[in-house]
Amino acid sequence: MTDFTRRHFLEALGAAGFGALAASATRAFGLDAVENPLARYPDRGWEAAYRDLWKYDSTFTFLCAPNDTHNCILDAYVRSGSILRIGPTMRYGEASDLYGTKSSSRWDPRVCQKGLALTRRFYGDRRVRHPMVRKGFKAWVEAGFPRGSDGRPPPEHFNRARDEWVRVTHEEAAKIVAAALVNIATTYSGEKGKELLLKQGYEPEMVEATKGAGTQVMKFRGGMPLLGITRVFGLYRIANAMALLDAKIRGVAPGEAIGGRGFDNYSWHTDLPPGHPMVTGQQTVEFDLDAVEHAKTVVVWGMNWIATKMPDSHWLTEARLKGTRVVVIAAEYSATSTKADDAVVVRPGTTPALALGLAAVVVKEKLYDADYVRRFTDLPLLVRADNLKMLKAEEVFGGGPAKLGNQTLVQRAGEAVPAPGFQRDMIVPEKLRNEWGDYVFWDERTQGPRAISRDEVGKRSPLEHARLEGAVEVTLRDGKKVMCRPVFDVVKEYLAHFDPKTTEEITWAPAASVEALARHIAKAPGTTLFAIGMGPNQFFNNDNKDRATFLLAALTGNVGRVGGNVGSYAGNYRTALFNGVPQYINENPFDLELDPAKPARPKQYWRAESAHYYNHEDHPLKMGKTMVTGKTHMPAPTKSMWFANANSILGNVKWHYNTVMNVLPKIEMIAVQEWWWSTSCEWADVVFAVDSWAELKHPDMCASVTNPFLTVFPATPHKRPFETRGDIECLSLVAKALAEKTGDRRFADLFKLVDEGRTDVYLQRVLDHSSLTRGYKFTDLHEKAKKGIPALMMNRTYPKAVGWEQVHESRPWYTKSGRLEFYRDEDEFIEAGENLPVHREPIDSTFYEPNVIVAPAHPFIRPKGPEAYGVAKDDLSCEVRQGRNVVKPWAEVKRTSHPLAKDGYRFVFHTPKYRHGAHTMPVDVDIIAILFGPFGDIHRHDKRMPNVTEGYVDINPDDAKELGIDDGDYVWIDSDPTDRPFRGYKPTEKEHRWARLICRARYYPGTPRGITRMWFNMYGATPGSYEGTQTRPDGLARNPRSGYQAMFRSGSHQSATRGWLKPTWMTDSLVRKALFGQEIGKGFLPDVHCPTGAPRESIVKISKAEPGGLEAKGLWRPAAEGLRPRYESKALETYLAGGFVQLGKKGA
Amino acid sequence: MALVRNWQIGRSMSYWYPESRPQRQFAAVFDVNKCIACQTCTLACKTTWTSGKGQEYMLFNNVETKPYGYYPLGWDVRVLEKLGPQPWDGGRYGGRTIFEAAEAGERTLGWRPAEIDYAHPNVGEDDCAGQPIVNGAYYQLPHLSWFFYLARICNHCTYPACLASCPRGSIYKRPEDGIVLVDQGRCRGYQECVRACPYKKVFFNPMTGTSEKCIACFPKIEQGLAPQCFLNCIGKIRCAGFVHVPEKADPENPIDYLVHVRKVALPLFPQLGLEPNVYYVPPLHAPEPFLEQMFGPGVHEALRTYRGAAQDPDLAGLIALFGSTERIIHRFKRRGETMYGYDDKGSEVVHVPMKEPVQVLTAFDARRGVAPANVP
Repeated sequence: MTDFTRRHFLEALGAAGFGALAASATRAFGLDAVENPLARYPDRGWEAAYRDLWKYDSTFTFLCAPNDTHNCILDAYVRSGSILRIGPTMRYGEASDLYGTKSSSRWDPRVCQKGLALTRRFYGDRRVRHPMVRKGFKAWVEAGFPRGSDGRPPPEHFNRARDEWVRVTHEEAAKIVAAALVNIATTYSGEKGKELLLKQGYEPEMVEATKGAGTQVMKFRGGMPLLGITRVFGLYRIANAMALLDAKIRGVAPGEAIGGRGFDNYSWHTDLPPGHPMVTGQQTVEFDLDAVEHAKTVVVWGMNWIATKMPDSHWLTEARLKGTRVVVIAAEYSATSTKADDAVVVRPGTTPALALGLAAVVVKEKLYDADYVRRFTDLPLLVRADNLKMLKAEEVFGGGPAKLGNQTLVQRAGEAVPAPGFQRDMIVPEKLRNEWGDYVFWDERTQGPRAISRDEVGKRSPLEHARLEGAVEVTLRDGKKVMCRPVFDVVKEYLAHFDPKTTEEITWAPAASVEALARHIAKAPGTTLFAIGMGPNQFFNNDNKDRATFLLAALTGNVGRVGGNVGSYAGNYRTALFNGVPQYINENPFDLELDPAKPARPKQYWRAESAHYYNHEDHPLKMGKTMVTGKTHMPAPTKSMWFANANSILGNVKWHYNTVMNVLPKIEMIAVQEWWWSTSCEWADVVFAVDSWAELKHPDMCASVTNPFLTVFPATPHKRPFETRGDIECLSLVAKALAEKTGDRRFADLFKLVDEGRTDVYLQRVLDHSSLTRGYKFTDLHEKAKKGIPALMMNRTYPKAVGWEQVHESRPWYTKSGRLEFYRDEDEFIEAGENLPVHREPIDSTFYEPNVIVAPAHPFIRPKGPEAYGVAKDDLSCEVRQGRNVVKPWAEVKRTSHPLAKDGYRFVFHTPKYRHGAHTMPVDVDIIAILFGPFGDIHRHDKRMPNVTEGYVDINPDDAKELGIDDGDYVWIDSDPTDRPFRGYKPTEKEHRWARLICRARYYPGTPRGITRMWFNMYGATPGSYEGTQTRPDGLARNPRSGYQAMFRSGSHQSATRGWLKPTWMTDSLVRKALFGQEIGKGFLPDVHCPTGAPRESIVKISKAEPGGLEAKGLWRPAAEGLRPRYESKALETYLAGGFVQLGKKGA
Repeated sequence: MALVRNWQIGRSMSYWYPESRPQRQFAAVFDVNKCIACQTCTLACKTTWTSGKGQEYMLFNNVETKPYGYYPLGWDVRVLEKLGPQPWDGGRYGGRTIFEAAEAGERTLGWRPAEIDYAHPNVGEDDCAGQPIVNGAYYQLPHLSWFFYLARICNHCTYPACLASCPRGSIYKRPEDGIVLVDQGRCRGYQECVRACPYKKVFFNPMTGTSEKCIACFPKIEQGLAPQCFLNCIGKIRCAGFVHVPEKADPENPIDYLVHVRKVALPLFPQLGLEPNVYYVPPLHAPEPFLEQMFGPGVHEALRTYRGAAQDPDLAGLIALFGSTERIIHRFKRRGETMYGYDDKGSEVVHVPMKEPVQVLTAFDARRGVAPANVP
């Protein structure tokens, strides 16, 4: 209605007063009179319409568990057979365990907007509705797998992401996958296979790593398998069963057979804080998030708690309400900063320096908790000045290593140990124990050295009089005299470099904040929780970060207490919560147990591998001619990939465009299990259509590292709306196809219990063999879950606090010394210049020389520099940069610049996660997408929009203005042209255009100058989606063949990232606990000691592409209306100043 | 026009209809300090009530970032601009309400957004105001750079502008709970309500040709249950209930306690004169002049009280009780370290500890044969 007609209407109505109006309306429309609608309304029968909308026929529960750790059992409300809406069960407050431990209703509600929007996913247009095989791949299989002389298939069969798709049945898809697996394993087996791999250019060390077993080039990944103990972890069960195939192909006995390779998860996602095992000897320290109300202070550090831990955010705000001081340190003024008492804004990637700066204040002002330092850390132990190694008791006193008995069992070679879930003491192989020996400290009372064994920690520690500062001369048994210093003393000397002013220069945290925060934390030892997020962890210096933050925490007594601890929050990972999992994944395929009443007899045939080598152009790290990747880590060539629950391994892989352009062509089969057509599906050969959580017919279970719940995925009564099968059924189908293909019946038995509807047997076996769940009956848990009630994991403490036993029961840590170790004397660390906890500049996201070790001349920092590898000292190319150990003091570093700075690459570009997406569930469902930041528009007024929302970059307004970029404009973002978006990219090449990142720019006053941000959780452009933008009348970035929908016209946030390998992630010598149970070993361990990559690093150039206004003209409308930062109208200025109400002023 | 009493502005004011308060008035308290802008409330509402054709731009519940977030675009800036700067001295608002400032021939001072003003419902998300960030920063309270989240539903006002403006008499207030509804049978889509509501919480549906608004999930309220946006609030910022006028405040009623007794929860733009019934605990970190403009002069006392909550177990405990049950809590009580909530008949509907107690299992359970270690 136009304003004219409106006015006309009002006049016609003769509006003169309420009585007159009521009367006139009645007259005009023949309605019942409404004298005063505040008081009475004549006919309210119509209200029934809303009551009808509310009605539903029935409800059922399902579990929503992306990798966000929350694991919410939800109620689905059903009408006429369809899920109408979703809600929380409100029954987390009824969880209990076998001991009577109980949770409270403060845990309710558990839900989020992404869970509520699942209705749009379950029935969405991109739902994978039936299995699909890529046309060219099908033809290759049907042609009998033709190959060239080097073994490679003809490229015309591998036109991935551009090819047509063919609908097949699940059985046909399974047969195709089985045939390809047999063919690939056969091709690359034996000497002939190794020869082909060498011909194809793989590193000899990688080829050797296969040991001639073709099964080793086949990679399997159950993504984030804690989120599906049977259906996701099942991929590893398949990998293990590949030993059957190897035995057949190579004709070897079961004892010599080798299974497939399984990719890592927690470390692949850069969720593993790699320095945690370096300090504690085990995977990660963390605490349940409800612990925060037991702390006096919480330091939320690089963690956007309220955006990524949404259902557990109230613990933070309620703790604050009740007096916990909240300190938020972030690379911007973040969402969580708004919940802080103290907010500190820092430069991204400088967390190690900030932690060192804080520790420096604590040490300099002698505020540290000396008792804690002496009892629980290696800081009092002596280290030799000559060879930088820890001084060993044997060198001084002779004799063998001390006998260990403190909750520790030394295992003789060949001696059997109980299964992981039944282990109580730490188990140390005798060989390792002898290697370690014992350590030495300097006793101030006797003024002499004293030996100390690994047992002597906590209450058993005799170090009350240990010297912490100053060098001492120690006479060795052979009469030699060596200078030694306590680790504390060596660290203290290094810390002095990080005085508050220098710390401010490096980190941008004002010196006053460094001093105030350090003093505050030190004032009440053991009462601060450090909640450290994914932000700092996604930088190359992440292990430096962990070692430095632990140092700060240990100095202030904050490791291992309910209200004083360190936590690393990224991903859900601790599969050891079910340490009986080997019962299922490692069940011996040669000796399967088909009796549901009996346990399995596990034997591991598969090998783990870090997917970061695949991401690093399928090769390990070399410096010059020297192999830097440790032997225990060595990858095998990747010739096939099969994964479930994992868009991150391909669709959202770091350096995505390089991976799909330069790595995928070497891979001969990619099989994906998905229920939503993801970027991974775009690049796959075979896509199995699987059940969503709402349709699972086989129950499953999972647990979490941030809450105490054991959650079951209930089997649901909901009818499958599409031609889908459960993930585990797909595994079973392929196994049966393998049985047919190979004639080995054991393949058919691999999932026999699944076929019989008894998946619960596998789950029960896991429960029975897990220390935290033994005693639970799966059927009971399942019945409760159907009512919306979870169980509690039987952790030692509620809330769970890793390190609790170490502090309260003097249980040694899983390290060589049994203490928190800050000094690493292994050769790899000494060569890297990282025997001390140091700060390295980020590898790409820095304005200075990348990856340089910031240190003054220090007698203990003597790394192996580039020249020692035969590499030019000033070679800063990305490959070389990774292994480059160059030391410079800050005064010198600050005068350096990033090698690309001169070419205009001057913006740090980081890609954190956000509230609107969860891990592999991006922000693409319409009703969530429209709320994703400023540019969502469900009607797409601007047809350039790739979707109803789109990716955008947040930039400081002053930076944007300098570049001539207005709020809402489209911009190009380019990173290092030598290898991004992919090696070989040519801007002039039409076929490459889909890979270059274009997006909107938003004026974002909360980000510092030079720092730009793009949210993660986005579907990137593919050749097909780019084609859609060019050919579709509506301009949507949607693949005309597959329906894939991108959130960028071209490129993505992964156009600017790349794969990175850091030498200290790849040692053969780091001592760490096994994944499951209490056994201690050393070297590579997936998800514990292996590469993590650095996906948040890139330095970029930003340039204007198009104006933001409609029709690519003028300003984007909200800016034009004067309602955006830096475009404020007069009214908005008054509003911002609160000028529309004048307090204290009297009215007329 | 009639003269009505509006306690929020400390005076009488003119309104289109005479004062008539419902038997009970639905009301809510939202603690801004707990809001995390997760939009679960928005989705709970959207998936329950507005997922149909014609409702694409319609969010009965939305969460926006203040000060640069607005849904629809510029809603509050525009109405405040129209009204102009207004004086407020002590307890009595000396300026004009939108009813008093209405132009001749109009019942309220208003404006009608264009369709495109609804296009970007989360514009301004996380955009901060105040001091520009150059490199590092260190803020203690209040923060020099700042933003906060404002969750918004219909205020189910005591003096609704939508109701006053409807030429057809299609908008009414339910006497049993004070919920304001647009009669979908009677409405003809003149959009006077859209223009009049300063909060812009009535929406025109081009498919049905009627205006629609938040119904406070009355089918749930009728069963003693909290509305969808309350149930699904994982920040646990919301408490649904019923509010009395100050003279009849009941200190055991959670809403009355927070609004009238402790005065920690305040109405949104009370100066507009609608006596809105959603009350906000203001954010601790934002500048006070901005908060005065948004929540009135009571903001200083509210902030002071909230800051003292650590020594105030009833207040802290009550706020920690928010969202722990789907039932509406009519009365609450603290006994030692436990908070209790009761329904309108006095039956307990929930109790929670002030702090989750720490519980420790035995180091080794011989019966189960396992050690329940925290590092399994």
